[in-house]
Amino acid sequence: MAYTQPHPRLSVVSNSSHSSVDHLSPTTTSRFSLPSVPSLHSSITTTKPGPNRPNIYDRPLNKTRSAEVSASAFAFLFSEVVQYTQKRVSGINDLERQLNTLGYRLGTRALELMVWRAEGSSKAPKRELKLLSVLMMVHTQVWKAVFGKGADALERSVENPDEYMIIDNDPLIERHISVPRDMSQLSCSSFTAGIVEAVLDGLSFPARVTSHNTPTVQYPNRTTILIKLEKSVLEREELLK
Amino acid sequence: MSHHLFVLSPSDTPLYSLTHQSAKPVPSVTSPLASNLPTWSTSAFAGTLTALSGASSATQHTSGGAVRVGGGQDRHVIQMIANAGLDVIEEVMHREPTMYLKSVDKFNEWTVSAFITPGNTKFVLLHEGKNDEGIRAFFMEVWELYVKTMLNPFQTAHTVIRSGVFDSRVRASARKHL
Repeated sequence: MAYTQPHPRLSVVSNSSHSSVDHLSPTTTSRFSLPSVPSLHSSITTTKPGPNRPNIYDRPLNKTRSAEVSASAFAFLFSEVVQYTQKRVSGINDLERQLNTLGYRLGTRALELMVWRAEGSSKAPKRELKLLSVLMMVHTQVWKAVFGKGADALERSVENPDEYMIIDNDPLIERHISVPRDMSQLSCSSFTAGIVEAVLDGLSFPARVTSHNTPTVQYPNRTTILIKLEKSVLEREELLK
Repeated sequence: MSHHLFVLSPSDTPLYSLTHQSAKPVPSVTSPLASNLPTWSTSAFAGTLTALSGASSATQHTSGGAVRVGGGQDRHVIQMIANAGLDVIEEVMHREPTMYLKSVDKFNEWTVSAFITPGNTKFVLLHEGKNDEGIRAFFMEVWELYVKTMLNPFQTAHTVIRSGVFDSRVRASARKHL
């Protein structure tokens, strides 16, 4: 294939202003859609997997259980994610939604893998049925699996019985992000909100999850993940009592 | 003895299916209703009708001498039984706190067992006879393979599983446990 234009993967930073138009269209992005990247297909067809290429099915899932990703590598990657997304959206709300979508994709996988590691060797693997135990699981296990430490608090809203809040005093993903003043509404933890949404969705507790900055003097990065559960969940919970 | 495995997405769309013929012998099931039934062989729905009436193990001999398997083995009947089992599974899964739901439903000679992954993907297995421990081990291996499949960034909970390796691993596991 002859490159009539510069390699698309290299051009992200330089000429994204005109190439981003076809990726943009926020109305058509569904949660599971992938933007069409022509270069990807051509590279797949040219590099056929050899017979000795390692296969995910041959790898034990517990191999990387205690492995950790370098924080600076992650910070760099995440900053690129935010920049990439920002170029393709039309506002803060849109940006948060896109980050949420990306987090969702991660969350579905994190959930399966996390539970497999916990229950995969057990004789009778268990599922969580109660709302409170699911929220506790998100608060401790999911946070531990994704960020290496538990979240700081889990609260229930006083005004609305269908709202719960998970509070992180110093979210790992925002540690190296300083949001410009004119975008002070933006919370990059929308990514985390997406993860939480995927986990709750997977365990059949559908909810709308958003993230909000709630700084205190002691913790300027303090973030609240707001979980607004769907009506059906609360109704089912009533029945189970 | 045959087994039928269906992997269903959280929205109940089929992602993968497998029919496995096990070498183990079929337990003989006799249905009194079966012998009293007329032969429906001319009807296109013969299989469905015989299956619904309980004529499960009645193997019909066609004129050519080839053995046609009984109505309960027809593909569309199998799918219907699996789908009917989903209703029961949905009910049970909100009550039972386990992933492996054994023998949730029975239809003629078929027993329906299921496995619900944390992400709400369902493995539905139609089997004859009782083999709780083997099925549990089989489901656990399929789950591991499924988790590995899900880790592929191009795979979502709603995309059909087309991996050849997945298929051969599931088959190997079925040979081992079923």
